[in-house]
Amino acid sequence: MFKELDPILHSQLRLAVMSLLISVKEADFIFIREKTNSTAGNLSVQVQKLKEAGYIDVIKEFKDNYPNTSCKITKKGILAFEDYVKALQQYLQVKQP
Amino acid sequence: MSTEKQLTEQESLQLIQQMINKAKGSYHDTGIGPILWGSIITFCSLVTFAEIQFRFNMPFDVWLLTLFAIVPQVFISIREGKMRKVLNYEEVALGYIWTCFGISIFLLIHINTNLVPQLNTIFTDYNTLKGPHEITFDYASYSTAFFLLLFGIPSILTGAITKFTPMLYGGILCWVCCVISVYTGVKTDLLLMALSAMAMWLIPGIILRRKYLNKRECSKN
Repeated sequence: MFKELDPILHSQLRLAVMSLLISVKEADFIFIREKTNSTAGNLSVQVQKLKEAGYIDVIKEFKDNYPNTSCKITKKGILAFEDYVKALQQYLQVKQP
Repeated sequence: MSTEKQLTEQESLQLIQQMINKAKGSYHDTGIGPILWGSIITFCSLVTFAEIQFRFNMPFDVWLLTLFAIVPQVFISIREGKMRKVLNYEEVALGYIWTCFGISIFLLIHINTNLVPQLNTIFTDYNTLKGPHEITFDYASYSTAFFLLLFGIPSILTGAITKFTPMLYGGILCWVCCVISVYTGVKTDLLLMALSAMAMWLIPGIILRRKYLNKRECSKN
Protein backbone atom coordinates (compact mmCIF):
# COMPACT_ATOMS: atom_id res chain seq x y z
CA MET A 1 0.00 0.00 0.00
CA PHE A 2 1.46 3.35 -1.04
CA LYS A 3 1.58 6.20 1.38
CA GLU A 4 0.02 9.32 -0.08
CA LEU A 5 2.50 12.11 -0.73
CA ASP A 6 1.96 15.04 1.63
CA PRO A 7 0.17 17.70 -0.50
CA ILE A 8 1.76 20.51 1.52
CA LEU A 9 5.24 19.33 0.57
CA HIS A 10 4.45 18.04 -2.90
CA SER A 11 4.77 21.44 -4.54
CA GLN A 12 7.96 22.78 -6.08
CA LEU A 13 8.57 25.92 -4.04
CA ARG A 14 7.40 24.57 -0.69
CA LEU A 15 9.53 21.46 -1.11
CA ALA A 16 12.52 23.64 -2.04
CA VAL A 17 12.02 25.76 1.09
CA MET A 18 11.73 22.70 3.32
CA SER A 19 14.81 21.07 1.72
CA LEU A 20 16.82 24.21 2.44
CA LEU A 21 15.57 24.53 6.00
CA ILE A 22 16.20 20.86 6.84
CA SER A 23 19.92 21.45 6.16
CA VAL A 24 20.33 24.61 8.27
CA LYS A 25 19.33 25.76 11.74
CA GLU A 26 17.84 29.04 10.61
CA ALA A 27 17.71 31.04 7.36
CA ASP A 28 16.72 34.57 6.37
CA PHE A 29 13.84 35.16 3.99
CA ILE A 30 16.31 36.80 1.55
CA PHE A 31 18.60 33.76 1.64
CA ILE A 32 15.67 31.44 0.90
CA ARG A 33 14.49 33.70 -1.91
CA GLU A 34 17.96 33.79 -3.50
CA LYS A 35 18.48 30.03 -3.28
CA THR A 36 15.03 29.14 -4.59
CA ASN A 37 15.04 31.82 -7.33
CA SER A 38 11.52 32.84 -6.35
CA THR A 39 9.76 36.16 -6.05
CA ALA A 40 9.16 37.72 -2.63
CA GLY A 41 5.37 37.63 -3.01
CA ASN A 42 5.24 34.03 -4.11
CA LEU A 43 7.64 32.93 -1.41
CA SER A 44 5.66 34.80 1.27
CA VAL A 45 2.50 32.91 0.40
CA GLN A 46 4.24 29.52 0.47
CA VAL A 47 6.08 30.29 3.70
CA GLN A 48 2.72 31.21 5.25
CA LYS A 49 1.24 27.86 4.14
CA LEU A 50 4.15 25.96 5.68
CA LYS A 51 3.77 27.99 8.85
CA GLU A 52 0.03 27.24 9.03
CA ALA A 53 0.80 23.53 8.64
CA GLY A 54 3.18 23.83 11.61
CA TYR A 55 6.17 22.77 9.52
CA ILE A 56 8.21 25.94 10.04
CA ASP A 57 8.54 28.77 12.54
CA VAL A 58 8.68 32.30 11.18
CA ILE A 59 10.60 34.77 13.31
CA LYS A 60 10.13 38.47 12.67
CA GLU A 61 12.62 40.82 14.34
CA PHE A 62 14.61 43.98 13.76
CA LYS A 63 18.22 43.84 12.59
CA ASP A 64 20.00 47.22 12.54
CA ASN A 65 16.62 49.00 12.60
CA TYR A 66 15.35 47.05 9.59
CA PRO A 67 12.65 44.39 9.79
CA ASN A 68 14.03 40.93 9.20
CA THR A 69 12.22 37.64 8.71
CA SER A 70 13.87 34.32 9.32
CA CYS A 71 12.53 30.78 9.18
CA LYS A 72 13.40 27.52 10.86
CA ILE A 73 12.01 24.05 10.53
CA THR A 74 9.96 22.59 13.41
CA LYS A 75 10.02 19.02 14.77
CA LYS A 76 6.70 18.42 13.03
CA GLY A 77 8.27 19.71 9.81
CA ILE A 78 11.26 17.38 10.15
CA LEU A 79 8.96 14.37 10.66
CA ALA A 80 6.77 15.38 7.70
CA PHE A 81 9.85 15.82 5.51
CA GLU A 82 11.22 12.42 6.53
CA ASP A 83 7.87 10.76 5.82
CA TYR A 84 7.72 12.49 2.45
CA VAL A 85 11.19 11.23 1.47
CA LYS A 86 10.29 7.69 2.62
CA ALA A 87 7.11 7.77 0.55
CA LEU A 88 9.06 9.02 -2.47
CA GLN A 89 11.55 6.19 -2.12
CA GLN A 90 8.65 3.70 -2.01
CA TYR A 91 7.26 5.05 -5.28
CA LEU A 92 10.65 5.04 -6.96
CA GLN A 93 11.48 1.47 -5.86
CA VAL A 94 8.30 0.17 -7.47
CA LYS A 95 8.88 2.11 -10.68
CA GLN A 96 12.42 0.77 -11.09
CA PRO A 97 12.55 -2.61 -12.90
CA MET B 1 10.58 28.77 -9.29
CA SER B 2 6.88 28.21 -9.81
CA THR B 3 4.56 27.56 -6.91
CA GLU B 4 2.10 24.81 -7.57
CA LYS B 5 3.93 22.89 -10.26
CA GLN B 6 3.25 19.23 -9.63
CA LEU B 7 6.45 17.30 -9.46
CA THR B 8 7.18 13.74 -10.43
CA GLU B 9 8.80 11.60 -7.72
CA GLN B 10 12.12 11.78 -9.54
CA GLU B 11 11.93 15.57 -9.84
CA SER B 12 11.12 15.85 -6.14
CA LEU B 13 14.20 13.88 -5.17
CA GLN B 14 16.37 15.93 -7.52
CA LEU B 15 15.02 19.16 -6.07
CA ILE B 16 15.69 18.01 -2.49
CA GLN B 17 19.24 17.06 -3.40
CA GLN B 18 19.82 20.34 -5.23
CA MET B 19 18.57 22.46 -2.32
CA ILE B 20 20.58 20.53 0.27
CA ASN B 21 23.70 21.11 -1.84
CA LYS B 22 22.92 24.82 -2.11
CA ALA B 23 22.56 25.09 1.66
CA LYS B 24 25.85 23.23 2.19
CA GLY B 25 27.94 25.87 0.46
CA SER B 26 26.54 28.77 2.45
CA TYR B 27 29.09 28.90 5.30
CA HIS B 28 31.75 31.58 4.91
CA ASP B 29 34.10 32.73 7.63
CA THR B 30 35.17 36.38 7.28
CA GLY B 31 38.62 35.45 8.64
CA ILE B 32 38.80 38.43 11.03
CA GLY B 33 38.71 36.32 14.22
CA PRO B 34 41.61 34.01 13.24
CA ILE B 35 43.65 37.01 12.02
CA LEU B 36 43.05 38.86 15.30
CA TRP B 37 44.00 35.95 17.56
CA GLY B 38 46.82 34.73 15.31
CA SER B 39 48.40 38.21 15.37
CA ILE B 40 47.99 38.70 19.12
CA ILE B 41 49.35 35.31 20.19
CA THR B 42 52.27 35.61 17.73
CA PHE B 43 53.04 39.15 18.94
CA CYS B 44 52.82 38.25 22.66
CA SER B 45 55.00 35.15 22.21
CA LEU B 46 57.67 37.04 20.29
CA VAL B 47 57.70 39.99 22.72
CA THR B 48 58.06 37.60 25.69
CA PHE B 49 60.84 35.80 23.82
CA ALA B 50 62.58 39.15 23.21
CA GLU B 51 62.17 40.08 26.89
CA ILE B 52 64.04 36.91 27.93
CA GLN B 53 66.58 36.99 25.12
CA PHE B 54 67.54 40.67 25.39
CA ARG B 55 66.88 41.00 29.14
CA PHE B 56 64.44 43.85 29.24
CA ASN B 57 60.99 44.22 30.75
CA MET B 58 57.91 45.72 29.20
CA PRO B 59 56.13 48.23 31.48
CA PHE B 60 53.16 45.82 31.56
CA ASP B 61 52.50 42.11 31.05
CA VAL B 62 52.17 41.82 27.29
CA TRP B 63 49.79 38.84 27.66
CA LEU B 64 47.17 41.25 29.03
CA LEU B 65 46.61 42.16 25.37
CA THR B 66 44.77 38.84 25.01
CA LEU B 67 42.23 40.06 27.57
CA PHE B 68 41.74 43.34 25.68
CA ALA B 69 41.32 41.39 22.43
CA ILE B 70 38.15 39.84 23.83
CA VAL B 71 36.36 43.19 23.38
CA PRO B 72 36.87 43.42 19.58
CA GLN B 73 36.17 39.66 19.34
CA VAL B 74 32.75 40.12 20.98
CA PHE B 75 32.08 43.10 18.70
CA ILE B 76 33.10 41.06 15.61
CA SER B 77 30.91 38.11 16.66
CA ILE B 78 27.84 40.33 17.15
CA ARG B 79 28.45 42.10 13.83
CA GLU B 80 28.93 38.84 11.93
CA GLY B 81 25.78 37.46 13.57
CA LYS B 82 23.79 40.43 12.30
CA MET B 83 25.22 40.13 8.79
CA ARG B 84 24.55 36.39 8.65
CA LYS B 85 21.72 35.32 6.33
CA VAL B 86 21.81 31.69 7.34
CA LEU B 87 22.90 29.75 10.38
CA ASN B 88 24.24 26.27 9.64
CA TYR B 89 24.45 23.41 12.12
CA GLU B 90 28.22 23.35 11.59
CA GLU B 91 28.44 27.01 12.64
CA VAL B 92 26.48 26.21 15.80
CA ALA B 93 28.83 23.31 16.56
CA LEU B 94 31.88 25.50 15.90
CA GLY B 95 30.47 28.18 18.18
CA TYR B 96 30.25 25.67 21.05
CA ILE B 97 33.75 24.34 20.31
CA TRP B 98 35.38 27.81 20.40
CA THR B 99 33.41 28.87 23.49
CA CYS B 100 34.58 25.73 25.32
CA PHE B 101 38.12 26.44 24.12
CA GLY B 102 38.00 30.03 25.46
CA ILE B 103 36.73 28.82 28.83
CA SER B 104 39.36 26.04 28.92
CA ILE B 105 42.14 28.59 28.40
CA PHE B 106 40.91 30.64 31.37
CA LEU B 107 40.62 27.48 33.47
CA LEU B 108 44.17 26.47 32.56
CA ILE B 109 45.46 29.95 33.49
CA HIS B 110 43.55 29.65 36.77
CA ILE B 111 45.07 26.20 37.47
CA ASN B 112 48.58 27.45 36.60
CA THR B 113 48.37 30.54 38.79
CA ASN B 114 47.34 28.37 41.74
CA LEU B 115 49.69 25.49 41.02
CA VAL B 116 52.96 27.43 40.59
CA PRO B 117 53.07 28.95 44.13
CA GLN B 118 52.23 25.51 45.60
CA LEU B 119 55.03 23.86 43.61
CA ASN B 120 57.49 26.59 44.62
CA THR B 121 56.70 25.97 48.30
CA ILE B 122 57.23 22.22 47.89
CA PHE B 123 60.56 22.68 46.08
CA THR B 124 61.82 25.26 48.58
CA ASP B 125 61.05 22.87 51.46
CA TYR B 126 62.63 19.95 49.60
CA ASN B 127 65.79 21.88 48.80
CA THR B 128 66.05 23.05 52.43
CA LEU B 129 65.85 19.45 53.64
CA LYS B 130 68.09 17.92 50.96
CA GLY B 131 70.69 20.65 50.91
CA PRO B 132 73.03 20.30 47.93
CA HIS B 133 70.66 18.05 45.91
CA GLU B 134 68.67 20.86 44.38
CA ILE B 135 65.78 20.09 42.07
CA THR B 136 66.03 21.94 38.78
CA PHE B 137 62.42 21.81 37.69
CA ASP B 138 60.87 24.70 35.78
CA TYR B 139 57.11 24.29 35.43
CA ALA B 140 56.93 27.26 33.01
CA SER B 141 58.78 25.22 30.40
CA TYR B 142 55.93 22.66 30.50
CA SER B 143 52.97 25.03 30.70
CA THR B 144 53.42 26.03 27.03
CA ALA B 145 52.79 22.40 26.07
CA PHE B 146 49.41 22.50 27.82
CA PHE B 147 48.45 25.68 25.98
CA LEU B 148 49.55 24.27 22.62
CA LEU B 149 47.58 21.11 23.35
CA LEU B 150 44.44 23.20 23.89
CA PHE B 151 45.14 25.54 20.93
CA GLY B 152 45.32 22.58 18.57
CA ILE B 153 41.94 21.04 19.46
CA PRO B 154 39.51 23.71 18.13
CA SER B 155 41.76 24.43 15.15
CA ILE B 156 41.85 20.79 14.04
CA LEU B 157 38.10 20.39 14.62
CA THR B 158 37.32 23.60 12.70
CA GLY B 159 39.59 22.57 9.85
CA ALA B 160 38.05 19.09 9.71
CA ILE B 161 34.40 20.20 10.01
CA THR B 162 34.68 23.01 7.45
CA LYS B 163 37.10 20.99 5.27
CA PHE B 164 39.52 23.94 5.44
CA THR B 165 42.90 22.22 5.21
CA PRO B 166 45.18 25.21 6.09
CA MET B 167 43.62 25.35 9.58
CA LEU B 168 43.62 21.57 9.90
CA TYR B 169 47.33 21.31 9.01
CA GLY B 170 48.07 24.34 11.21
CA GLY B 171 46.40 22.57 14.13
CA ILE B 172 48.38 19.39 13.49
CA LEU B 173 51.60 21.45 13.37
CA CYS B 174 50.54 22.98 16.70
CA TRP B 175 50.33 19.50 18.26
CA VAL B 176 53.77 18.66 16.81
CA CYS B 177 55.06 21.85 18.47
CA CYS B 178 53.31 20.72 21.67
CA VAL B 179 55.35 17.49 21.67
CA ILE B 180 58.60 19.35 20.92
CA SER B 181 57.94 21.95 23.63
CA VAL B 182 57.98 19.24 26.30
CA TYR B 183 61.71 18.77 25.60
CA THR B 184 62.73 22.41 25.07
CA GLY B 185 63.26 25.44 27.28
CA VAL B 186 60.98 28.45 27.73
CA LYS B 187 62.61 30.55 24.99
CA THR B 188 62.16 27.86 22.33
CA ASP B 189 58.64 27.16 23.62
CA LEU B 190 57.70 30.78 22.94
CA LEU B 191 59.03 30.55 19.39
CA LEU B 192 57.04 27.33 18.92
CA MET B 193 53.93 29.08 20.19
CA ALA B 194 54.47 31.98 17.75
CA LEU B 195 54.98 29.49 14.90
CA SER B 196 51.80 27.60 15.87
CA ALA B 197 49.69 30.76 16.11
CA MET B 198 50.87 31.88 12.69
CA ALA B 199 50.35 28.46 11.10
CA MET B 200 46.91 27.66 12.52
CA TRP B 201 45.26 31.11 12.82
CA LEU B 202 47.09 34.00 11.16
CA ILE B 203 47.86 32.43 7.76
CA PRO B 204 44.52 30.51 7.48
CA GLY B 205 42.77 33.71 8.61
CA ILE B 206 44.40 35.70 5.79
CA ILE B 207 43.42 32.96 3.28
CA LEU B 208 39.82 33.00 4.60
CA ARG B 209 39.69 36.81 4.43
CA ARG B 210 40.88 36.84 0.82
CA LYS B 211 38.36 34.16 -0.12
CA TYR B 212 35.57 36.05 1.63
CA LEU B 213 36.44 39.37 -0.04
CA ASN B 214 36.72 37.71 -3.46
CA LYS B 215 33.33 36.06 -3.00
CA ARG B 216 31.76 39.34 -1.88
CA GLU B 217 33.27 41.12 -4.88
CA CYS B 218 31.92 38.41 -7.24
CA SER B 219 28.41 38.61 -5.77
CA LYS B 220 28.43 42.41 -6.21
CA ASN B 221 29.29 42.15 -9.95
